[in-house]
Order: sequence, then C-alpha cells, then structure tokens
Amino acid sequence: MDERIDGALFSRILGAALGAGDYADAFYERRVSRSFRFQDGKVHDAGVTVITGIGIRAISGEQAGYAHSDDLSPQALVRAAGVAALIARDPTARVRTVALPAPSAAQSVYEGTIAAEPTEAARFVDLLARADVAARAFDPRLNSVNAFVLEEIQEVAIATSDGRFVTDRRPLVALGVQCVAIGATRGQGYTGDGGRTTLAYFDSRTPESIAREAARVAIVNTEAIEAPAGDMPVVVGPGSGGVLLHEAVGHGLEGDFNRQGTSLYSGRIGERVASDLVTIYDDGNLVGERGSLAVDDEGTPGQHKVLVERGVLRGYMHDHMNARLMGTPSTGSGRRQSFRVMPQPRMCNTYMPGGESTHDEIVASVQRGVYATSFAGGQVEISKGDFVFMLAEGYLIEDGMLTRPIRGATLIGNGPDVMTRVVAVGNDSRLASGSYTCGKGGQYVPVGVGMPTVKIERVTVGGSAVA
Amino acid sequence: MLEDALQRSERAVEAALRAGASDAEATHAIVERFSTEARDQTIVKLEQSIGRSLSVRVFANGGQATLTTTDLAPERLDELAAEAVAAARSVAADPFSGLPDAFAPTADSNALALYADDVPARPAKEKLAAVLELEHLIRKHDPRIQNSGGSRLVDAITTTALANSRGFRGAYRSTSVSVGTNPIALDGEEKRNAAYGFAARSWAAMDSVEEIARIAAERAVGMCGARKPPTERLPVIFERDVAGSVLADVFSSLSAANVAIGNSFLVDRIGAEIGSELVTILDDGLRPAGLGSSPFDAEGVATRVTTVFERGVLKTFLYDTYYGRKLGAASTGNGAGGGIGPNNFYLAPGTLSLEALIAQTERGIFVLDTIGFATEHVTGTYSRGARGFYIENGALAYPIEEFTIASDLAAMLGAIDGVASDLRFDGAIVAPSFRIAEMTVSGN
Repeated sequence: MDERIDGALFSRILGAALGAGDYADAFYERRVSRSFRFQDGKVHDAGVTVITGIGIRAISGEQAGYAHSDDLSPQALVRAAGVAALIARDPTARVRTVALPAPSAAQSVYEGTIAAEPTEAARFVDLLARADVAARAFDPRLNSVNAFVLEEIQEVAIATSDGRFVTDRRPLVALGVQCVAIGATRGQGYTGDGGRTTLAYFDSRTPESIAREAARVAIVNTEAIEAPAGDMPVVVGPGSGGVLLHEAVGHGLEGDFNRQGTSLYSGRIGERVASDLVTIYDDGNLVGERGSLAVDDEGTPGQHKVLVERGVLRGYMHDHMNARLMGTPSTGSGRRQSFRVMPQPRMCNTYMPGGESTHDEIVASVQRGVYATSFAGGQVEISKGDFVFMLAEGYLIEDGMLTRPIRGATLIGNGPDVMTRVVAVGNDSRLASGSYTCGKGGQYVPVGVGMPTVKIERVTVGGSAVA
Repeated sequence: MLEDALQRSERAVEAALRAGASDAEATHAIVERFSTEARDQTIVKLEQSIGRSLSVRVFANGGQATLTTTDLAPERLDELAAEAVAAARSVAADPFSGLPDAFAPTADSNALALYADDVPARPAKEKLAAVLELEHLIRKHDPRIQNSGGSRLVDAITTTALANSRGFRGAYRSTSVSVGTNPIALDGEEKRNAAYGFAARSWAAMDSVEEIARIAAERAVGMCGARKPPTERLPVIFERDVAGSVLADVFSSLSAANVAIGNSFLVDRIGAEIGSELVTILDDGLRPAGLGSSPFDAEGVATRVTTVFERGVLKTFLYDTYYGRKLGAASTGNGAGGGIGPNNFYLAPGTLSLEALIAQTERGIFVLDTIGFATEHVTGTYSRGARGFYIENGALAYPIEEFTIASDLAAMLGAIDGVASDLRFDGAIVAPSFRIAEMTVSGN
C-alpha cells in the first residue's frame, strides 16, 4: 500500500463519509501499466500509465454519493468524503468513528509470481518481435502486422464502514496481434490472449502461436464471401462462443437491473429461461483467468455462481448495494473501471459446462446454416432482451460440412428465445483464449467467456446476401 | 488557473528533458465534474469530483514513449519521466517520429465559445430538480411508462494546458453539459426501453427537459407492439443520432493511423468518387461552441476546417503529425493523444425535412437505434442490429425490431440519395438524417 495511506486515514475517511448514511466504503488503487506496440516490423511506441487515487462512497437506502481524489493528502480525502456524504445530508449527523482491523491480503486466484522490479523493456520487445516474425512467415499475402503487449499490476485497498479492510494485488497481461492480408479481397484477423498472470504466461502460450492464429484468420478472410441474410441454424464453436452467454443471459442477471425491475429476467428466479441443455456459471475464482478476482472492488471474495441450471434461472449477480436492498448476500460481483467511478454488478468469467454431443456430429446435423468460429464481441439491450454478437471468423455449413468462409456479420436474437432453441451442446467446453473487455455504463473491465460447441435451431444472421 | 496548469505542464517537460529526452510535450488536464441520476422520485446518485491527469510524450534516440499519470506528486515526476525516457530508448528510431516542425497561430479560445459561465453558475439544487422532473415527465407522458433506467445529468469544466520543448504553450477552459433519460414502457409482458438525451457546451444551448422527456417517452411507447420484419432489400433512413454512428465508422477508415496499416476500405482511394453527389463531409475544429472544437489539437497544431469528401469525392485522410509525415501529408490538426481523433466531423446537411424524406420513401425502413459495433474496416463490411419503423406509402406504418441491416460502407456512401436538414452539433461526430437507397434487411 502507498506510504501516504494507512488504516487510521481510512478510518477517518469512512467516518466523514458515513455521516447519516447506512454504509460507506473507500477504494484505493495504484495501477501501473506498461505497454509496447509493434508496427512495420519494429517497435513503434511505448506507454507507461499510472492510475492512483481513492474513491469514496456513501450509501443511504438506494441513494449513493460519490467523490474521488487523486490528491492523497488527508485534507483532500476528508474533503472528498464530505462531498460523498452529501447524499445523506442531515445537519444533526456528526462524524462517526469507524474502527478497522489490520488490513488482510485476499487469497490469490492469480497465476505466477509478481516480480519486485519492473519488467525490462527488452522482454516486451522480444515477445513482439517473435510475434511479428511468425506472422510474416505464415504467408506471403500478409500485408501488415501490428502487435501490442501489456503488463499491468493493480494494487487495491478496500475499507468499509462495517469493518472490512482488505488488500489485493492483481496482475494482468495481454498480447494481441492484428494482421491484414491481401488476396482475392482484403482480410483482417485479430487474436489476443493473456489473463491475470505474468508475462511468463507467454512461455507456454507463445507469441508465435498467437501471431499464426491472427495470420490464419486474415488469410481465411481474404476468401470470405458475403454472409447470408435471414433465419437459419447456427453452430457456435467452442471458446469465444461464450460471448453469446455474456450477452443473451449474463447482463440481464446483473443485480442493479433486477432490483430496479428493468431487466426482462426480473422476478423470474425459478422459471425456465433456456432449453434444459443449458447451464451457465459465472466464476471469479478460476486461477489466472482474465475475469478472475480474489476479492471484488468492494472487498467481497470472488465466487462460483450458478446463473442457469438445466434451463432454469437460479440466481443474479450482486454487488454490495443491490444485494443489501434485495436482502441477499453480495456474490462478489462489484466491479469498477477505476477509483474515479462507483462499482456496479458485473460478470467475471461466464461459461457453460460441456454436454454430450461431439463437435463433428453437431456440425454434421446441419443441412444449411452458419458456423461461427469466433466473435469480435456483442451487445444487449436488457429490457426487451434483444442482443447481437458479431462474427470475426465464420463459415457456411452446407450438407453438414463447413464450406466457404463468410465476412463479418452481426447475428441478432432475443435472449430467452435463442437460449430455448439450443438443441445440442458439445462435450468440448473451454474458456476462450481471447482478451474480452466488457462495457457497461461507460466502464470497461476485463472478463472471460467460455462455451462448448452449441447448436441453435434458428438465429437471424445479418449478412447482405439474400437467398 | 490556466497559468498554474501551464506551469505544471512545463515542469513535466523539464523533468523529461532532465531525464535525457531530446524533446518532450506535456498536457495537464483538470476536470471538475458533477453528475447526478434520479429514478422515480429519488436522487439515486450524486457525484462531484476534481480529476487531474498529466500526459507526457517523450522522444529519445529517435523513438517515442508516452507517460500518463494521475499521480502528480512532484517527487514522483522525475522517476516516472526517467522510466518513460528509458522506454522511448527501446523503441526503434523512426524518421517520422517527433514534435510538429512549426506551430501556426491558434484560434482565440474565447471566439470558439468553448466556455460558458452558466455551467459553473447553475446551482446543484436546480440540477437535481431537473433529473427529478425528467422522471416525472416521462411517467406523466403515458400510463405504460412506470419504470425507467434513470434520468441523468452531467456537467464538466475542463482545463487543458499543453507545453512542449519547442516553446509551444497553450491553455484553455471548456465546459460541457449533457442530460438524458431512459424510459421503459410496459407492453403486455414485455418491456420497451428508449434512451434519448442531448449535449452542449452551455446550459443555454440545452434542450428543455420537457422536450427530452417527450422524445424519449414517445420512442419507448412507439416501440410497443413491434414485430420482426421480413428479409428483403429496402431503402433505409437513418435518424440523425444513428446517422452519426455510421459517420463514426467512416471516420475510423479515414484515420491515417488505420490507413497506414491497411485497416481501411479507403486505402489508395484519394481522388476517387465513392459517395453520391450528396456526400460532403467536413472536419471543423473551429465551429463556435462545437463539442469537438478546440484552438489546437493534442500536439499543439492549430485546428482548421478540412473538407474530407466533396460531392462524393474523397479529398484527404485525417492526419496527426506522425502519420502525416509517414503518408506524405501535413497534419490536419487531428492529433488526439496517441491516436487520431475527430474535431467536429459531420456530413453536410441537405434541404429536406426528415418528414419530407420519409414521405418520399414508398417502402423502406426508418432506423432509430442500432446495436453492435464490429465494422470490418478493411473491407468496409457493415452489419448492425436495429430497431425502428417500417415505412409504407411514405409514412411510418408500424414499429419493427430484432432485425439487422447490412451492406458495406463504400456502397452505403454511394447510395445516399437523400439528406435531411436536421443536423445539430450535439457531439464530435454528427450527421443529419439520411437515406440509403438499398441495404439488406435481415429478419424473418
């Protein structure tokens, strides 16, 4: 923890923030990121980012007051605490005393050992140079290779007015390669990987393997034809297909939307929302995964949550505030982009466990449809439940075989409708290697997704080729 | 205030030079932000803070690195500057790297009307009353509206101060305000939401809460009974807010940073007639009170007016100093801190009202909202989820949802056959409503 911050100062901040309210918390963060970018066969630029400050929140019923400060002087922090307390303004309230225990370090769910010294630039440069060489060697049609690598350490200390005081030290690495190839048409491929681990991760998941994957997709896409338009069967390949769960179900189960009754899943615990082949978990404890957290940004330990079990809705994901208002415990889902913003209920790693079918028999069962290998992302509107997911690599299925690659297209459906049309689930569940980032209310946090091969009887494919 | 901020930037430049940088540039930004949200009769969020940050670009051995920090303690600055310089030394020497060669005089920030006194002057009490009023008005509009995703108001006063080792120094203050609401209408078992808001530099230029509440509520109620349309090729009218999002995709492909790596459908197309006669697109950094206006960009380059498309012909990409040098052009004043950003980037308005544009469309789709974001810039392949209205006989016939619209950006620009007069500058990338003669609508 920063030498400018200690338990006594946290107690003072919380006392000033609590005022006449029910609850207060303070979130200290020091995040240091180092990144390098490669372009045109050489190191293009480097970046060092330091995010340090404290966010202070006061809660009174369903009201929350917030202030943050990058000035860590006691005067500035107590002033910010007073601003947060305005939400529960009561002239008779006095500054209350909040007692805190000694800080305890959260039980790590991260991989690797964080080095005491900053990683040397040469290490980053070597990873990128290897990626660049491997991508260029893949195929002469590659026209442009761009790569980046990032290493980040986020140290947090979270103190709450009910006496919790925890610290956590979170590593995060990512390496991404983007390729453009020129063949019959221009083709683009992007592959990223990483997690809550150290750069040693790329000893086994090599930059060469990531680069070759991006190059392969770029080459495939030079042959891509216009995607079809209309309703058809869609087979979603293992791994990044988890984007589907994140959008079609996950967001709609976040506690804020359900407390407010704005989600289509509000008040539907125990009801059928998917076919009985569908089980969905969200897990903050998977070691080293991108969406994992030893404790969330409110100090609650990460958890394994059953969201949907054999098609039946089992639970929501909660942060502290929405859990308390709904009379249930937090599920360790309170997350925030930085100290400048309040936490919200968010997903961690959202995935579906494996089923019975094999990948090949699922593909073989489709006469004419689309096979989605990977996704560029997705989005959902949580009240009606319509969601999209966007193809990054996909193929036509004709007579049970993958035939021609198709260009990027958006697929659209309604959450429960689509999940009810899941008619086969593969035995090949895995987490996506990708480096997905989830946006909500302007805040971006790293997440993981995973899924086995899944067949959906019918989805609207948004290509431009009308049959 | 401006002088203090400039001095902080200058101290950062000095720290970088002390650490061995051959050149350096620093931007200090201070944002005083107020934000509140109401749901029904309760203020549920109230946030007030001052956020400060420093961004320093250092050059050493022909390479560059960027330091961004919220830790402004002077004793840390030397250490961070040294790390940035060490990082720059590990970057390959690049002949295109470096500060701009010369600095032309910049526009007077007062003339740009970036700062409005009515922003700091407006009492918090009034702002809280405004979001509560929005919540009241959307519910009063229609009995089907009994819930909402909240009504929000944000205002900010920003101080920006840029100094570099070539003697450029410039600072200005700006204000911005935004107000929006998210009514949810009950439609039997289903919930129909809408999001609508407005943004400006001053409270004086802001729409009334009555207007914002009315449009938002009409849109939520208007979606009740929506159906899924059939799959077919049809004319598509983009309402101005979504028209702006199409223009944002065009901007991305015009960014020289994307063009340089081949990630743009516009590579090698300068001088080509891509758009229809109606497509004139400008980037204007000097528009008074524009949300994208500023006297100079992130590198201290004076902003200007750049014609990007003229009657369909692609005239130029948009450059910062580095990509300008790389592609053989001058910076267009679009440097944006590590990338290329828009000033006020917009499609020139036409003469028709939106109503007239709809009236002259026999059959088609009117899009009010899109969902999704992945455009394949390398080919321009465009596909989005959408909702809006089906047009029959020149009138909005019924609401539609859960469909996609697809084409590619070059074909879309070429097929723009109607542009409305309803342009307004409530963001950095904006457009009037326009019609594309044909796109693929994918539904049932």
